Amino acid sequence: MIGRTGRLVAAGVAIVVVFLTWAFPVLWTAVTSLKFAKDIFAYPPKLFFEPTGLNYDGVLGGRQTLVNDLVSSTVISLGATVLSVAAAIPMAYVFARCHLRFKNALALYTLFTYMIPRIGLVIPFFVVFRKLGLTGTYSGLTLVYLSFSLPFAVWLLVPYFEDLPREMEEAGLLDRAGRWRTLWYVILPQVRGGIAITAIFVFITAWNEFLFGVVLSGSEVRPITVAMYNFIGVEQTLWGPLTAGAIVAMIPVIVLGLGAQRGIVRGLTAGSIKGGSRT
Amino acid sequence: MTTTAGPRAPERLAPEPAEPERQQTGFEREERRFARILVAPALLVLAVTTTFPLVYLLVSSVYRTNLGATAGNGFVGLGNYVQAFGDGRFWHSLWLSCVYTVSSVVFQIVVGMALALVVNRIRHGSWALRIIALLPILLAPVVVGLVWRTLLLTPSFGVVDYLSETLGFGSHDWLGEPTSALVFTIIMHTWQWTPFCFLVFLASLAGMPAELAEAAKLDRASAWNRFWHITFPLLRQAIVVVAIIRTVVALSAFDAILAATGGGPGTATEILNLYVYRASFGELRLGYGSALAVILLFLTFAVAYLFYRLGRRRQS
Repeated sequence: MIGRTGRLVAAGVAIVVVFLTWAFPVLWTAVTSLKFAKDIFAYPPKLFFEPTGLNYDGVLGGRQTLVNDLVSSTVISLGATVLSVAAAIPMAYVFARCHLRFKNALALYTLFTYMIPRIGLVIPFFVVFRKLGLTGTYSGLTLVYLSFSLPFAVWLLVPYFEDLPREMEEAGLLDRAGRWRTLWYVILPQVRGGIAITAIFVFITAWNEFLFGVVLSGSEVRPITVAMYNFIGVEQTLWGPLTAGAIVAMIPVIVLGLGAQRGIVRGLTAGSIKGGSRT
Repeated sequence: MTTTAGPRAPERLAPEPAEPERQQTGFEREERRFARILVAPALLVLAVTTTFPLVYLLVSSVYRTNLGATAGNGFVGLGNYVQAFGDGRFWHSLWLSCVYTVSSVVFQIVVGMALALVVNRIRHGSWALRIIALLPILLAPVVVGLVWRTLLLTPSFGVVDYLSETLGFGSHDWLGEPTSALVFTIIMHTWQWTPFCFLVFLASLAGMPAELAEAAKLDRASAWNRFWHITFPLLRQAIVVVAIIRTVVALSAFDAILAATGGGPGTATEILNLYVYRASFGELRLGYGSALAVILLFLTFAVAYLFYRLGRRRQS
């Protein structure tokens, strides 16, 4: 019999494996970002060293500053999140609840747009943006980000609307509140949590986006992911600033992601799997 | 497509109250108008940001648009496609896409499932594992590629290289040799997304009725039989969904590879997606790049559709 001991051993092994494999690279990045150059280049890698905030001073000020890029990423990601969630809410509500001719075809179309490889969209955008002078502008990049954030938001939101009991709307309608007022005053307050989680996931995906940024951004408006990429190759690899930059780029998404942990499985599968009680 | 039936069952049982015929039509017309207004904004945005570019891509794929050498630019019909079919680099990238996608998706699902099955039996502390598993998923793939390239794989500096040397395998230029570069781009992708499969499977397992497994245990079914005949069928839906998502994502994997190897050395890690990028923005052959992108598009949808059909047939 395997029994209790076996289970404990298996659990222990699982914990060690998961920790070493998945937490270590992230922690090691954090550790490296706190080292002086002499400690970074020490080989074998140093576990004990004198910590410094020098690299962070560098990326948050100084010559290698990433502040502009952080601002760009924040503006574009927030813009894409607000716009796509605002447009996705009514569409998701219709998909979940309303009668509409060709509704299934529309839903399929939305799923289809979500699966388009971004490389297929970036070529046309590259050509058109050059003609219209939208390359490297906030409005241009935000618009492009909507191509993936909007269908993603719709598919995340649909199950939240489906979960609502129908009686709630019926009660609203019987009160002669009308379709619009029922939606605004009765339905929406009930899906606030779902909307918040959706917004977080949309923001994370937008923040992490790279391909559109690397092709369509300029020197002024440039997402943090592209700035990180430029660390390599342009000059000698600057390990300290690189790791500090990586950590700075990670912090917002990690904080938001942990905050939305409850909805993570829905978020990952764009609503197609709801997840069990524990997640 | 849900794994937990929970709150949805009752609403299906309750029949909608029938309304008189005359009122219904008026109500329905009003209802449809309401719905049309609601979907209009999103539909407009989708048309502008996805459908218009796709049409543009199709059109651009039948033109020769070489910004580097503009002589000879113009309508070429299916010329770009014909050229692709005779292009060894295209077939190579297509092959790499298949290798990259199949191996990384299989590894993700197998390892993710194994971990989920083990962790599902842990009563306390599994929340810590779930939080750790969340980390890689949240990171930007481009940052993952950079971290692997620099901190883990750099010869005489990275942790992986250090381990390899300590264990007696010697120091290697991991991303500089064609085979190991491909292997490590696959490992990177698998590393980042196995936790995705793990978390989804873990959630699906948690939603499963415990009595089933208990009953099978009392019947003295072996662990393998319990998995194969009880757990696996219940997880089938989750597996299909995960497989579709992971395959679509792997087919268009880009950021981490570009950051880690740039498609190199040579074309050793140049999957189709990277070839499209390099042809379009490196060599500025936009027409040819568009044709390659159209091929990638069809490939993606074909694979997704295949999985979808597969999942449906098994279910019925």
